[in-house]
Amino acid sequence: MKRTTPTAFDFFPQEESQQTRVSRFFEELRAGRLSTTRCRKDGALLWPPRVACPRCHGEDLEWVELPLTGRLYAFSAVLVGAPLGMEQDLPITVGLADLEGAPLRLFGRIVGAGWERLSVGQRVRVEPFAVPDERVFYRFRVDGGLAENSSA
Amino acid sequence: MSTGRPVALVGGASTVWGVRAATWSELVQEAGARLFAAVPGLAAADVDSLFVGAAEPERFAFQSHVAPLAAELLGLAPHRIVQRTELACASGQSAIRSAYAAIAAGLSEVAVVLGVEKMNLPSMAEANTSMACVMDRPWDGAHGATAPPFFAMVAQRHMLEYGTTPEQLAGVSVKNHRFANSNPDAQFYEKKFSREKLLGLPLVAPPLRLGDCSSMTDGAAAVVLVAGEKARQYTDTPAWVRGSGQHASWHNLANSGSLTDWVGMRSAAREALGSAGITAQQLDFAELHDCFTISELIEYEMLGLCPRGQGGRYLEEGQTEIGGDVVVNPRGGLLGCGHPLGATGVAQAVEVYRQFTHSVPPARQVPDPEWALVHNLSGSANVHSMMVYQRGS
Ligand SMILES: [Zn+2]
Repeated sequence: MKRTTPTAFDFFPQEESQQTRVSRFFEELRAGRLSTTRCRKDGALLWPPRVACPRCHGEDLEWVELPLTGRLYAFSAVLVGAPLGMEQDLPITVGLADLEGAPLRLFGRIVGAGWERLSVGQRVRVEPFAVPDERVFYRFRVDGGLAENSSA
Repeated sequence: MSTGRPVALVGGASTVWGVRAATWSELVQEAGARLFAAVPGLAAADVDSLFVGAAEPERFAFQSHVAPLAAELLGLAPHRIVQRTELACASGQSAIRSAYAAIAAGLSEVAVVLGVEKMNLPSMAEANTSMACVMDRPWDGAHGATAPPFFAMVAQRHMLEYGTTPEQLAGVSVKNHRFANSNPDAQFYEKKFSREKLLGLPLVAPPLRLGDCSSMTDGAAAVVLVAGEKARQYTDTPAWVRGSGQHASWHNLANSGSLTDWVGMRSAAREALGSAGITAQQLDFAELHDCFTISELIEYEMLGLCPRGQGGRYLEEGQTEIGGDVVVNPRGGLLGCGHPLGATGVAQAVEVYRQFTHSVPPARQVPDPEWALVHNLSGSANVHSMMVYQRGS
């Protein structure tokens, strides 16, 4: 049987509530929403979703929804040297984007345009995508570029 | 800062580095043979401790519990401390720092430090997967990213904020490859790289080209550290450990802050230089972690050798060449020598000893060096490790 799961992911899925305490992140993502946890005591916005606050070490966290748009702070692309299971995805364009309206700079893969057509400050939109083994993950999409050679 | 009793590095050796037709265990054996040849006074029975710097033997060599395996291969029976250190690209220096701490604290008298990595496998995709593990793997690595696109973003920001040019990046590579041409242990010992040739190599992660990136390398290196009062049994010219510093503050890329201001490196430098009681300007040479060309330029700035944003100009002025302010990477750097993760920091320390004892070819000999600094970053430049050495006489 052909193995399709990119192996930079967990060898075994860990997105369900039987496996992780932040399964809600993946449930929300499936519904098209980006979320994370925030400390109720000191307001620290935590990324990735945590179960204890590294600032006050409390465990009283709440889920908050994050904006789905951001502006590119930096980007590049993996032109050679993909991890196992991702060789067919080359080039893999990635970037850091400052979310609009939340103090968070998020890293992710970028689809919709290749690196040659991107610029710092350009708007990106967070979207979920399906990963084999019934998983979900997030990535950025840019509008207006040529279609990229990707799983988009 | 008082840091226990004096500790000296009294010798070391490296294997030949490159794409080696040799296994992880064979590289360890080669390093051992070369170490005992390079340090004639070294008796296995006197070695009470062994520290092994190895980043990912579980993935690259499918082997855990590597410290006792290395002890067996080196013919050592450590009875004080035997351990492995893992700190990705700084695993080797981490092992040296652990040996230093153990000796300074009186827990060890004679310690061998071995650094080793076997990285070249038939499947480079498998090796790239290992490199993705160095990042916050489920959240950052899972996007398909490894080190090159991260440092490419660093370069992009440095170019945007300060006007750094591809030619300046290539200049780092030209210098370090030229030094490597006088280092027979180096992966690129026999390869010549001009700026024009480097600028014509393919892009790996724009704006970084192949010549801006250190390589996947197989190699090992080893050094001996001893309590100060024993140093003269091994050498007339000990390299005294005078300072040490380290800083870690984040791991996930979302928490990186400015890509061009490496706060952790400035902190580690304050700690390392401060504990040695010197300034960066007093250094005669520095082994800096040039995993990518952009790294070395920012490292000049974070060490305080030049103002922020001026790393490219500082290089172009020749300040890091022999005859300049502070010679940087006379060994050939990671760019010229290759970067077997666990071995790099140990080989840098070998270079310190060789420079202090004037035992390198003239083309890379720093004139009469007294002070040297060794730096490794690891991961996404989120950890910085540093040591300062002074030549004894
Ligand atoms: Zn808190």
